Amino acid sequence: MNPDGRAATQRALATLLRSAATLAGTLAALLCVTFALSSLSPVDPALKLVGEHASAATYEQARHNMGLDLPWPQRLGRYAVGVIYGDLGVSQSTGAPVARDLRRVFPATLELATLAMVVSILLGLALAMVSAAHPGGATDALLRVLSLAGNSLPIFWLGLLALYLFYARLQWVGGPGRLDDAYEYTIDMPTGLVLLDAWRSGVQGAFASAVGHLVLPTLLLVAYAVGNIAQLTRVALLTEASKEYVLLARATGAGRWTVLLRHMLPATASVVLTVLALTYTNLLQGAVLVETVFARPGIGRYLTTALFAADTPAILGSTLVIGACFVLINGVTDLLVRLLDPRT
Amino acid sequence: MSRSDSSTSSSEIPRSRRRRVAALLIAACGLHGTCAASPPQVLVVAQSLDDIVSLDPAEGYELSSMQAFTSLYQRLVQPDPDHPESISTGLAGGWQSEPGSLLFDLRPDAVFANGHAVRPEDVIWSLSRAVKLNLSPAFILNGLGWTADTVDQHLVKVDEHHVRVTWSAPVGPSFALSVLGSTVASIVDEREAASHATAGDLGNRWLHDHSAGSGPFRIRRYIPHEALVLDANPLSPGDAPRLKTIVIRSVPGAATRELLVRVGDADIARDLAPDQYAGLRGQPGLQLWEFPSAAVHYLLFNTTNTAAPELANPALWQAARWLIDYQGIAHQLLKDQYLVHQAFLASGFPGALDDTPYRLDIPRARSILHAAGLDHGVTITLDVFNQAPFTEIAQSLQATFAAAGIRLQIQPALTGEVYTRVRSHRVQAVWLYWIPDYFDAHSSASAFALNLDDGTTSIAQRAGWQIPELSALTLAAVREPDTGRRRELYRQIQTEVQRSSPYVIALQERSQLVMRANIRGYRQGLNADMVYYDQVTK
Repeated sequence: MNPDGRAATQRALATLLRSAATLAGTLAALLCVTFALSSLSPVDPALKLVGEHASAATYEQARHNMGLDLPWPQRLGRYAVGVIYGDLGVSQSTGAPVARDLRRVFPATLELATLAMVVSILLGLALAMVSAAHPGGATDALLRVLSLAGNSLPIFWLGLLALYLFYARLQWVGGPGRLDDAYEYTIDMPTGLVLLDAWRSGVQGAFASAVGHLVLPTLLLVAYAVGNIAQLTRVALLTEASKEYVLLARATGAGRWTVLLRHMLPATASVVLTVLALTYTNLLQGAVLVETVFARPGIGRYLTTALFAADTPAILGSTLVIGACFVLINGVTDLLVRLLDPRT
Repeated sequence: MSRSDSSTSSSEIPRSRRRRVAALLIAACGLHGTCAASPPQVLVVAQSLDDIVSLDPAEGYELSSMQAFTSLYQRLVQPDPDHPESISTGLAGGWQSEPGSLLFDLRPDAVFANGHAVRPEDVIWSLSRAVKLNLSPAFILNGLGWTADTVDQHLVKVDEHHVRVTWSAPVGPSFALSVLGSTVASIVDEREAASHATAGDLGNRWLHDHSAGSGPFRIRRYIPHEALVLDANPLSPGDAPRLKTIVIRSVPGAATRELLVRVGDADIARDLAPDQYAGLRGQPGLQLWEFPSAAVHYLLFNTTNTAAPELANPALWQAARWLIDYQGIAHQLLKDQYLVHQAFLASGFPGALDDTPYRLDIPRARSILHAAGLDHGVTITLDVFNQAPFTEIAQSLQATFAAAGIRLQIQPALTGEVYTRVRSHRVQAVWLYWIPDYFDAHSSASAFALNLDDGTTSIAQRAGWQIPELSALTLAAVREPDTGRRRELYRQIQTEVQRSSPYVIALQERSQLVMRANIRGYRQGLNADMVYYDQVTK
């Protein structure tokens, strides 16, 4: 290997190690903060588990089993060692290992958020470009309305309204849940991704049912995300519009769309990628209200239920997974931005 | 129970045209239309299952798990679904009462859902494991004096069809029967559950999401926070269940539950808000049912809280009884989802006191406070769960108490936080509700009228109410073998609590649910576990 190649490999290795250290450090800090917050919770987890009527002996036994009779540094240490070995503890509210619960609920959120993200990217970028091509036009006005509506209308209310109209009244789409009753709880869900599992089940109608039940929650998340993506991309594009390279491109006779697609959009890639990353992380952890309204499993709902139940292992496990997603998505975004924009 | 409204399914919203349009639209997208009706032979129930901790009867002690146990397990004896005030036969075809013991005759044809015969060993193992595991509901069996060390000596196999149960606690046989009729005394198939035991857990982990009982249904699948799916047990006692499957879907939002039952994707919706329930009255295709519930709501003053010495003054308790707008809360504010009830035994319980001597009377309350020197302005913190209907009730109390010069500072908090503060005696006043642990008056009496200062927790202990004489009467009542005399004692106890305690019992819940019009045969009783799906048809 030549010296240049060796240096490049070393740089890549150093970057990788730095990223791994960032991930580990962030997760460790997250773990400590979440653990401290859980310890400060005014809810007694043992009492929550055994109930108000249980005997004092049962209560003490529960405290012991949950490790609440140990000093907090010991509890944190014990939990951290478990995490290293992949053991996130047992959820007090489901009675199942947290890792198993997360394997069940996280794919559901991932599927919903990813679908919403794909639609939002396509729609958002298209709206942004049309809007930037005709500033002050009808599309521009529509974009502003969409952005305002997406950010100001409560998603819970919008979800109920959409359910009432498109499911209860018009019956165009599936309602709450992930499948019709005829399929739900009868087909196996090995991956937790309902589209994939319904497709692979081979049960006639299951896939269509899964799609029908995904339409509304996906569109609802899209309504929330698309305004932000389109608006921020539009602003980035308009900022580029007055730059010399754009004027030069136009002067050479390039058409409006050619300039937009070939010159301006690539130049805004770093901004767009950052916006997309932020939106995706928000969708991953912020789908809780959609999951509640549509009675869909998901990590947001799992975490919320755990918070109400003072279920510390479930809270810690969910926070770690969401935190890991944040770090990974940010890391990947940084990498892509560097690749796409040599100045960074 | 009462059925307040009904109509036939013939008047349902016409859907055929919409379905055709939808089918065309969705077919254009490569999909097919949704089917807005639950499948035949399947009952779909929409409710929240978020409370379930475990479906092991030795551990599960939440509303949803207790509702399920009646479908999954049998006990030696159990309340008669049609006459819940009387204990009926279960796995035991009969019993003989002897001083300090009961001899049970097991049904010779009793089998578990997996085909295993029910043996005396199963009875002994089930009751013994519930005590030894010492999980949430174990205290009910502890009431017989059973401990992990002693329980085995109280359970004796007499022969292949007889089990003798004895107890060391000073209680009568009727109390023992009530305890053995509670869900924690469900009989589990030892051979099945023990074969899945790990690390000496007596099958507890496996029974979290599996069943090994002889009830009319068995668990096909349980997904926490998502669904509990039950299949009919073909070996079910008596008539086999009419429907093949019960799907209990966890739907956390009440508005979503309403939509599901309106459209027909759910056959039954539970736990709707009073406004939703009122709004569904007269809707075609639906029937609304109300069942009395054993839950009673009450205001508690913590007399041990020294930050507000007025809390220990009985005049404050007396005045408070005249400062609650019972009728307004029950009928206007909560739209008849509650009824006025002022004794700790819910109406319908054997021995319940149905007198309601108190009403909103602000001048009378003022004069009581004035006579006690409490008219200079009293400020009390009121802890309350931060959800409906508790916050609404608290606001009503705040208004009526203010009219008599008592300032209530409402402190809403999570359920768990409120109970943590109650347990550590940090509250001043708190609005709570009580559900009996088993269908016997002692369950409630030992909570409201027993404070032995021996570490046993009770509502009286939480309030710091010192009642040696009333406690002795409560203990006498549980020992009393004569049913009529026993009920009379409980009426005396309730009268005393109603008259002089630092709590004001005000309301009794009504369990309301909405069903599709084609559902028949659903039964529900007073207690949490009295939910019966076996005779349901659609």
